[in-house]
Amino acid sequence: MSGVSAGIATQLVLAAVALVAATLAPARMRSHVAGAACAGLGVAGAVTGLVAMSGGNPGAGLQIPVTLPLGLPLEPLLLAPDRLGGVFLALAGAVAAVTAVYGIGYATGPAASRSGWAAFAVFILGMQLVPAASDVVSFLVAWETMAIGSTVLLLADHGARSEVVRATQWYAVMTHASFLLLLAGFAVLVAETGGTSFATIAAAGVSGTSASVAFVLLLGGFATKAGLVPVHVWLPRAHPEAPSHVSAAMSAAMVKMGVYGVLLAALRLLPQGPAWWAGLLLVLALASALYGILQASVATDLKRLLAYSTTENVGLILVAVAVALLLRGAGDEPVADVALTAALLLTVSHAAFKTVLFLGAGAILHATGERDLDRLGGLAAVMPTTSLTFGVAALGAAALPVTSGFAAEWVLLQSLIHGDGRDDVALAILLPITVAIVALTAGLALLTFVKAYGIAFLARPRSPAAEHGHEGGRSMRAAMLLGAAAVVGLGLAPGPVAAGLAEAVGASGIEVVGVLGVSLPAVDALLDPVALILLAAIVLAPVVVVHLAAARRAPRRDVDLAWGCGGVRVSPRMQYTATSYAEPLVRVFDDALQPSRDVEVSHADESRYLVSQVRFRQRVTDLVADRAYEPIVRATLGIGEGARRIQNGSIHRYLGFSFTALVLVLLAVTW
Amino acid sequence: MRLAKLIRRTGRVAEPAPELSTEPAGAFRPDRALAGSAQVRHVDCGSCNGCEVEVGAVFGPVYDAERYGARLVASPRHADVLLVTGVVTQNMREPLRRTVDATPRPRVVVAVGDCAVDGGVFRDGYGVAGFVDEVVGVDLTVPGCPPEPEAIVEALRRVTGR
Repeated sequence: MSGVSAGIATQLVLAAVALVAATLAPARMRSHVAGAACAGLGVAGAVTGLVAMSGGNPGAGLQIPVTLPLGLPLEPLLLAPDRLGGVFLALAGAVAAVTAVYGIGYATGPAASRSGWAAFAVFILGMQLVPAASDVVSFLVAWETMAIGSTVLLLADHGARSEVVRATQWYAVMTHASFLLLLAGFAVLVAETGGTSFATIAAAGVSGTSASVAFVLLLGGFATKAGLVPVHVWLPRAHPEAPSHVSAAMSAAMVKMGVYGVLLAALRLLPQGPAWWAGLLLVLALASALYGILQASVATDLKRLLAYSTTENVGLILVAVAVALLLRGAGDEPVADVALTAALLLTVSHAAFKTVLFLGAGAILHATGERDLDRLGGLAAVMPTTSLTFGVAALGAAALPVTSGFAAEWVLLQSLIHGDGRDDVALAILLPITVAIVALTAGLALLTFVKAYGIAFLARPRSPAAEHGHEGGRSMRAAMLLGAAAVVGLGLAPGPVAAGLAEAVGASGIEVVGVLGVSLPAVDALLDPVALILLAAIVLAPVVVVHLAAARRAPRRDVDLAWGCGGVRVSPRMQYTATSYAEPLVRVFDDALQPSRDVEVSHADESRYLVSQVRFRQRVTDLVADRAYEPIVRATLGIGEGARRIQNGSIHRYLGFSFTALVLVLLAVTW
Repeated sequence: MRLAKLIRRTGRVAEPAPELSTEPAGAFRPDRALAGSAQVRHVDCGSCNGCEVEVGAVFGPVYDAERYGARLVASPRHADVLLVTGVVTQNMREPLRRTVDATPRPRVVVAVGDCAVDGGVFRDGYGVAGFVDEVVGVDLTVPGCPPEPEAIVEALRRVTGR
């Protein structure tokens, strides 16, 4: 038995243990026992993933001797992650472990119930088996397990808030639409090749129209899971309503399975696709990146903001994938490898910082009961650990050094700038546009996370709830610190990480250089954060020494009062809010966002010249959801209404229906 | 080029620096922390603007108080010296207190002009809350209605010691 198959067997056993713990443990200990089991499951997944990533013995895995009683030519179910699957297995496992630890302290009420923890275990197991699956049937089973587990988790708070039910409906419909598309896509492939294992499909080398049909269907299914525009609509609805450790796992790991699916389809199953596949992917990804960050930058609900930022980041990841495919098609292999590595770096980095961000949002929600940024503020004073970790993760999300986000986006931009599109007209046009959009996205991301951190944690509290915030339990803080350490660690050591990831996708030309730095000989670029920090420290040391010496000579001078221009009315209402901070952006992107504004001025009784109250209301809705989905929803409801008219409950009418049907069948038979 | 010519033609217009007076001004002892350089914030508490004209002249090219290390700044947060002019009106009493509180210690409050020193001609007016020493403590006074720029410069030089 190889390490990988042992690891997968361990995961199955641990999942069973977690299920038993969740159902049998007494309520008082349930979170501890089940959380620990889930964390163990995550760690087992992470270790297995790392083993698979290093590619000990390819093809090794757990074969499940199940013969389905069907007349279909199914090959045996095989759970054998390849090296790429190992990356995503390790990622899902690590995220699952951190969120499970967090859940021990965080889960209360329905999320800590028997079904809550059991669903969490099922969800994690499904998520970890998706990248391990090595044939169509087990892939789809794992995919559906993941979908069902997350749907149940999403429903946790349905008793308390009515929005939860609606969000879950959206999620369930979208996730099953995704499943249907995948089923159809894989069905096309299986029909063409006659085998259900990925190895058989890849070996058959499907091409032509059926390959294109399969690719588009698979892309649709995976894009829905990954949250690409225009099928992102479930993200901003589901994430705010789910318990925070669940939304962290969903956003950091589950949507990555969509990315894994795209990579699986484009690299392993259908590697010889025409250029328009990559072009389609690039357009979708660019639209997602831009639309996602635009919506995030104007969002005031913290978790909604993070959900849209997920759409943006998945967009960036798939931009890298699409550019890699285009460059590979144009024959620029070395830069394509860099782009592919950038995609995986972005994936890992997003998983790290988005976990922390969602966990931080959960800690805020736990402490204040608020998700609305306009009612938060001043939390840095009362929640120092959350403030620190959220701040580090926000740096990562804004792609600033020395975090993982910076290293990943640096590699992406290197590949975009150095991509050689001279011989390819489409590439020559697309690459500069891509660079521009990625740059705009990066700028907006900076604004978004300055807003998210600054409004939530700095200045004065804007509501009594924010004033009385408090730090979460020990497990919550430990989980957030672990995640923040990962964000900084990945940023400090991009070399080994990038080299490992590059090896997993078979990309060459990524080298470790200096102190854990990364070198890209293909584009003649080099990044060594540790060395840069040491250099900066050496340069800054004299400045610090002089400053300290000066501070000793001239002691600090006391001020009795903060200067308010002689004024007296200092109140938290005078501060920037999330809405006012994003106001210029809303104005600039007025046409794209189409916000609705409402200003209501009420006058004093004495005179119309005296204003007693001004009420300002602004709503930014998701235009894609409104314009594209509302007609579909309305049509579906209309069909339902029509069907209700036929089904009026009268037994006579039903007998009439059967009779008519019988007559029609007889007619058809005797014709 | 034209500017350079203009500068050369105009030359130096500042009055020659008078001797630094050494005789003590009341109980005032300049703080060593402010020696050499002091940032000045001007507060108008209800002046007739006569003193403002003179304060303006102090920092102009002719009297040029910046030669002696005194410099006007835009906020009490940056200031060491508060140059208060005018009698303190009801509306300016609280802002003056806040301005003094917002100035980092050690700080020097200079009352410029008769109104600031003892109320001057506006003393006992209906909108008057008092003179500066009644509202906040005063370290140095510059009497005169309005005081001559030389007197103001001399007071500032006592602070900077230059």
